[in-house]
Amino acid sequence: MLDRVVTQSGLLELIEELGHTHQLIGPVARPVPECDPPVRHFYQRVKHAGQLDLSFSYCTYSPKEFLFPPSETLFNFEKVDGRFTATPVLDEQRRALVGVHPCDVHAIELLDHVFAKDHADEHYAARRSHTFIIAIDCPTPCTSGVFCADMKTNTATQGYDVMLYPLATGDGANGNGQTRYGAVFGTEAGREWLYYNRRFTSPSAEDERSFKAYPQTKAAAFTRELNTTVDKLPALLDRSYDSLLWEATARRCYSCGSCNLVCPTCYCFDMHDHNELSETCGQRRREWDGCQLPEFAVVAGDHNFRPKAAQRLRHRTYRKAKWVKEQSGLAGCVGCARCDRACTAKISSVEVYNQLAEEA
Amino acid sequence: MKPKVAIFSLTSCEGCSLAILELEDRLLDILGAVEIVNFREGMTPRSWDIDLGFVDGAVSTPEDEKELLTIREHCKVLVAIGACACLGGINTLKNPQGKDSYAPYVYGDQAKWFPTTDAKPISAVVDVDYQLPGCPMVKEEFLRFVQCILAGRTFRLPETAVCVECKKNGNLCLYEKGVVCLGPITRAGCEAICPTYGSKCEACRGIVSEDALKAANINLQEQYDVSLEDVLADLRLFGAHQDTTLP
Repeated sequence: MLDRVVTQSGLLELIEELGHTHQLIGPVARPVPECDPPVRHFYQRVKHAGQLDLSFSYCTYSPKEFLFPPSETLFNFEKVDGRFTATPVLDEQRRALVGVHPCDVHAIELLDHVFAKDHADEHYAARRSHTFIIAIDCPTPCTSGVFCADMKTNTATQGYDVMLYPLATGDGANGNGQTRYGAVFGTEAGREWLYYNRRFTSPSAEDERSFKAYPQTKAAAFTRELNTTVDKLPALLDRSYDSLLWEATARRCYSCGSCNLVCPTCYCFDMHDHNELSETCGQRRREWDGCQLPEFAVVAGDHNFRPKAAQRLRHRTYRKAKWVKEQSGLAGCVGCARCDRACTAKISSVEVYNQLAEEA
Repeated sequence: MKPKVAIFSLTSCEGCSLAILELEDRLLDILGAVEIVNFREGMTPRSWDIDLGFVDGAVSTPEDEKELLTIREHCKVLVAIGACACLGGINTLKNPQGKDSYAPYVYGDQAKWFPTTDAKPISAVVDVDYQLPGCPMVKEEFLRFVQCILAGRTFRLPETAVCVECKKNGNLCLYEKGVVCLGPITRAGCEAICPTYGSKCEACRGIVSEDALKAANINLQEQYDVSLEDVLADLRLFGAHQDTTLP
């Protein structure tokens, strides 16, 4: 059931107000005349809500970097009187992440799970607890090639503070022809935002009608890309360890790690100390790492237990479609197809799944 | 005692030597940690007793070769800095044209007074202990190298492709714009400076691995409508690849 509704202009005013207390981050259109369509969207920091393009198709990168940056200082260290002292660096900037699609909501849920498990990661937790997530549902696939419906991640019922549903464009009397958004809260903070702001109003009977019809219309709009089902992937992979596909596909792989780096659910990192020339002070930093990079599995003694691209491709596929799901119950791959688009060798995850299914 | 450092230049623009001077706000720290005894771009030579010697430039004349042999003899550790010293650099563009063609083209009827050879990286003449590639070399990497050496830590170049840094910078991949960029086969460490500012990568830091080059050979023929000649021409610009074929 819908909690509240708001017009597009009302929503932008509310986001603008949110900007008084939060850093605003959301989809921004960048003109790229060489591309078709000649625009690409990126999550980036904005000063004003008006800079956001809420009707964006997809963002080239996921919003992961605002919770888990490509490079961050974990602590500063300094040698004083012969002893090293470390001062942790925690980012407690309040941020509002606007326009997060369901696939990325699922991905953030996985990050939440991973960074909270065992020894909780205080650096991730500091950012996450200061981030307000305004998700926007996708009534249609954002672009061709995505397989979120197959991965059951094209809808989300939790993992956000507020979820907005773009309802059918109203007529003149109902919002002056702009998109109306139906809103549902997912957290207490989300509930407060919806109910303490007058621009959010109670849904009309017509709003409730369009929201009731919404899931069916949406389901019809998403075509299937996967020739099997997500639930069958773990068993399928069990049988595919020795498949010839890994070698045949990986001959094209550059091992550049682009698939890892654009993936919203990849969370591997490496840590390095950055000393000053004097060696008495410096920082410990962590940076994104990726299992497709040739040196990812190098251990002490210089042994690499996954020296071949085929082994690394298999490892990544198992992570995405089997192991993460089995360990956490959450989606390891959310079907956003960013990896497929980022691969200059045109290796496609969904194609790998399909070829394995065909083989079996 | 502070380690004695020298910086030499062979055939090059000496931009990599200049990059050291461009470390402006770190220069005093560096001078606090080492003693510079020989630096053509910065001072009068003081000594030939050298712990750590850096060389920028390619070997492109008989004189370069002689000088380099002397340098090697006097340096405990020898480091090639920049594309010219590491790969031969843009100097190697003359090689495929043949000496009988390029010498008269450049020096006219005075060519016999200017002995010149095919350009080559310094590792073709002497043993090299470390390489800091790039056109110019990355000055932050130079600093990291000096820190590692002073602290006795292992120094390693990144074994990843430029794509890693390009993605971390949040760039739109140039392939999406229809540009064939050499990022996927080029060694990272430059912070993907060229793609970040809109130019394709031209492999000035050299090829990251033979496997990546093999993948390029397959992909550029099978997946892209790119003539191999164009790719090889790009790869030759900084001497990253001298052969006329890809693996």
